[in-house]
Amino acid sequence: MPVYSISHVENVRVCVVMVGLPARGKSLIAQKIVRYLSWLSIKSKCFNVGGYRRELAADVGDFTAEFFDPTNKRGLQYRQSAVDSAINDMMKWFVNENGVVGILDATNSTKQRRAEILKLCRDNYIEPMFLESWCDDQDLILQNILDVKTTSPDYVNSESEYATKDFLKRIKFYEQNYETMDVKHDSDLTFIKLVNVNQQIILNRIESYLESRIVYYVMNLHIKPRSIYLSRHGESEYNLTGQIGGDANLSERGWRYAKKLPELVLKSLGEENKHTNLTVWTSTLNRTQQTASFLPYKKKLQWKALDELDAGECDGMTYEEIEQKFPEDFKARDDNKYEYRYRGGESYRDIVIRLEPIIMELERQENILIITHQAVLRCLYAYFMNVPQEESPWMSIPLHTLIKLEPRAYSTIVSRIKADIPAVSTYKEKGTSQLGEIVNGTTSSKSRDLINDSKCV
Amino acid sequence: MSLPSALSDDEGEIFNGFGSAPIQRNPSQSGRRTKKRWSFHNSAKPNLIDESSSSTTGGPGGGNFGFSKTARSRRMSDTNTDGVHNEIDPYHISPAQLYSTESGRLFHAGKICIALAGLPGRGKTHLSVSLTRYLRWLGVKTHSFHLGDYRRANSESNDVHFDLFIPQPDNPKNNEFRQKIVNECLNDMLNFFKNDKGQVAIYDAVNALPEYRKELEEKFAKLDIQILFIESLVTDDAIILKNMIEAAKLSPDYRNWSYEQAYKDYSERIKILTPYYKEMNEVDNKNNLSYIKFINFGERIELYNSNYGYLINKVVFFLMNSRIKSGSVYFARCYKNSLDYTHDPPLDENGLKYARNLTKSLEEYLVANGKDYFKTTPTLSSPVNSAFELAKSASNLSSAGASGTSLSTLDSTTSSVRRPAAGVDGVDDNSFVVWTSAKKRTIETTQHFREKNIKIRHRIQLSQKNPGIVGGMETKEIAEKFPTEYEQFLKDPYHHRFSRAESYHDLAIKIEPLILEMERMSGDILIIADDTVLKVFYGYLMSCSCYDIPSLNFSTDEIIEIKFNAYSNSARRIPIKDFD
Repeated sequence: MPVYSISHVENVRVCVVMVGLPARGKSLIAQKIVRYLSWLSIKSKCFNVGGYRRELAADVGDFTAEFFDPTNKRGLQYRQSAVDSAINDMMKWFVNENGVVGILDATNSTKQRRAEILKLCRDNYIEPMFLESWCDDQDLILQNILDVKTTSPDYVNSESEYATKDFLKRIKFYEQNYETMDVKHDSDLTFIKLVNVNQQIILNRIESYLESRIVYYVMNLHIKPRSIYLSRHGESEYNLTGQIGGDANLSERGWRYAKKLPELVLKSLGEENKHTNLTVWTSTLNRTQQTASFLPYKKKLQWKALDELDAGECDGMTYEEIEQKFPEDFKARDDNKYEYRYRGGESYRDIVIRLEPIIMELERQENILIITHQAVLRCLYAYFMNVPQEESPWMSIPLHTLIKLEPRAYSTIVSRIKADIPAVSTYKEKGTSQLGEIVNGTTSSKSRDLINDSKCV
Repeated sequence: MSLPSALSDDEGEIFNGFGSAPIQRNPSQSGRRTKKRWSFHNSAKPNLIDESSSSTTGGPGGGNFGFSKTARSRRMSDTNTDGVHNEIDPYHISPAQLYSTESGRLFHAGKICIALAGLPGRGKTHLSVSLTRYLRWLGVKTHSFHLGDYRRANSESNDVHFDLFIPQPDNPKNNEFRQKIVNECLNDMLNFFKNDKGQVAIYDAVNALPEYRKELEEKFAKLDIQILFIESLVTDDAIILKNMIEAAKLSPDYRNWSYEQAYKDYSERIKILTPYYKEMNEVDNKNNLSYIKFINFGERIELYNSNYGYLINKVVFFLMNSRIKSGSVYFARCYKNSLDYTHDPPLDENGLKYARNLTKSLEEYLVANGKDYFKTTPTLSSPVNSAFELAKSASNLSSAGASGTSLSTLDSTTSSVRRPAAGVDGVDDNSFVVWTSAKKRTIETTQHFREKNIKIRHRIQLSQKNPGIVGGMETKEIAEKFPTEYEQFLKDPYHHRFSRAESYHDLAIKIEPLILEMERMSGDILIIADDTVLKVFYGYLMSCSCYDIPSLNFSTDEIIEIKFNAYSNSARRIPIKDFD
């Protein structure tokens, strides 16, 4: 049983219907909502009509702008059946898999299309919530096109200049039939309209707590491109002895990592962005602050919520000691690491709860570097990469490695930079109290190893 | 509005970040952490007796913010009155507060004035009070400043002459009086920010003119206080009528008036003020004001210049769930068979008797108060719910996207008519929902409500506080077996977490979704739960501090009713009679 769940889930099902021209950040918002709700243990799924179109019309080959010309009969047919399949799959998902929040990611640009979806939802007792992203800020739109064309499957083999031009043409075709949502004509619907990201927002008839929660989250989003850097603290004296928790200082090698960190960040930013100002967040514990101490950035904040998982009575012990002293607990933790709460301490779920305000604040930030601890990083990483709950506590996140996340419309790009400074492994496999990863064993594939898995996910 | 600008004098908060209750490191213990995470073990009860508010620094009008010693000390014990208007102590720790800072301000949000705007009868007072309650609960030091209170305090004869409400009365004496009360109120707000570590001041006044609103913004901007306007607009006459009736009955302006006279006077006041009021629009936009239009109490919310921070987004989150409530919240304890937390036995003989008596007593009370949702003969569940179940079967999917383009021929009658959201409770004023945990005994306690066709909702968050290793033990036994832990518990019963246990604080965090859901329900709710959970709910609704909550006491032969009023909530106890 989830300890912390959004209430009302048992009664209400919501279909979030995205509305907006291409390059308005719809997919990004849709995927973010799914990520956030799943992270909070609410069953949700995104149905991207573009994906259906590519599959159904595989024989078309390249999707040039002409495909989206409203007078292109064949194109229209494909697009209609793509929408139908997406909707059909979504309704099946609601019924067969007890879905709670389904997201229909498409332009849904005409009143008629929206009326169809509205009827279907109401007939099936699913609450429709329209979410329009409206934008006339050309810079923002171009920025988005840049983002879309570098990651969109539609332009895999295209020259960048051609892709931009073609995409603008596609938008023009959509604009011919586009009908925005407004207070006058849609006052009866549950809808949210975001004008130029969040310069102005209209929230109309938010009918349930769950909807309000989604809106609250979306309000904290922005679609400007940015990088999120994550790092564990440098190796600590406790890491050397295998003790967990505590508030130890960095080891000699840990200090070397701290000194090298500014260089790693610069290298990752690249020459052209070397003056980018990062915000730095650390926990309140010594080892993360020491790790941040050589960074030249002015905006450094400490957050209590970024502190390492509190091991309660086991704080300061090694896994071997815990196994000896509390054998039952040790086993219980291995059996359900996400839910297990240390005696007088915390569970991974507890961390997710205390991280929630941080996640909201993080969504509002631009370029940022977060220096924190293994368990907290696992939770943050799970949020950005949509890692399932059972897996997240078992991910391997090695010391002395800088992780870079770049949220994009269709994916999050992960890259990592190794500092090339040796450190102990603090990774513990299931069923043992010994630290370190079994490189050639079968277990390594079970855990989500960031090193092996750090390609584009 | 550029939020970070206000951070300049908040270095303390920035530097210490989350949990800046000074981080204690003790190197002598080889780096072992000395403080547990969210605990407030070292925060003893604030000394409320010696601590006197320093509001004597006189501005124009000589602020009178700050309560007498008797008022402050009373707060510690009197949990029967709503604490939402009490002065908030600078070192106060709220029930759902996650951390504390030296500056007293949270979320790196700086100081914020939330100024309301709108004609009388638009629920401004209700809005400011409920928002204060919610923000305080989160630990944000918030106080609402009602201009009406200052008017009443300054006029000898409780004068409600209309001249006193319009922006610039012609009569110089009245004009001067208005200036005086406005300045006094503003001065108290500034004192609140300066001397009481205040973070959010809610200014409850009509704020009718764009020039004045701009002036207010400039005045606060100079002091690094951001201002956000919330304009309450009502286009639905039914809501205004409801508010007018309540004002005529309950407003302190009409304490000794007859209802008819009061109602007449109040509607006259609205009528006279209406031409003076300028709705917030492009003019305020041009003035770069950040504002929220709050239309028909949450039906629509429009945000302008809305690049807000976490805290204000949280305010919007609350606004989305805020309704004018005509129903009450009722609390009843669930009957216990055994104290063992892990067991889930069914009700015994006495428990079944308790269930009957509880249902009958509450029904009697509600029916006497004119509620008619009890139906003696069980009928089919409501059409929405049964259809909802039907929709869950795959066979009902025929109309789904598979039918393709045929969807475009729409039956306009069905989709154009809006009906209440499927599965959402408490939309109707005249509705009743019972909430209880998912334990067998609480489910069985609700069986007679179910027979009367009352909706029962099970919420996992309503399970009793996990007692951990001290489950089933008497106080004496705990003190003997775990002397050090027990000592810590006595120091801070609200935050202390025994091994494997939950604290009251854990409960407060856990029930936040339920609190917002409760805020958005207009009708009556009965919560049947363990008293540990009820205490926390009560603490929210009556604005108790975290020091009060553990010692609240509910007996098994009473139902507690919390009634919502615009200005403050009130609690009463209804005896559970023995009908056998």
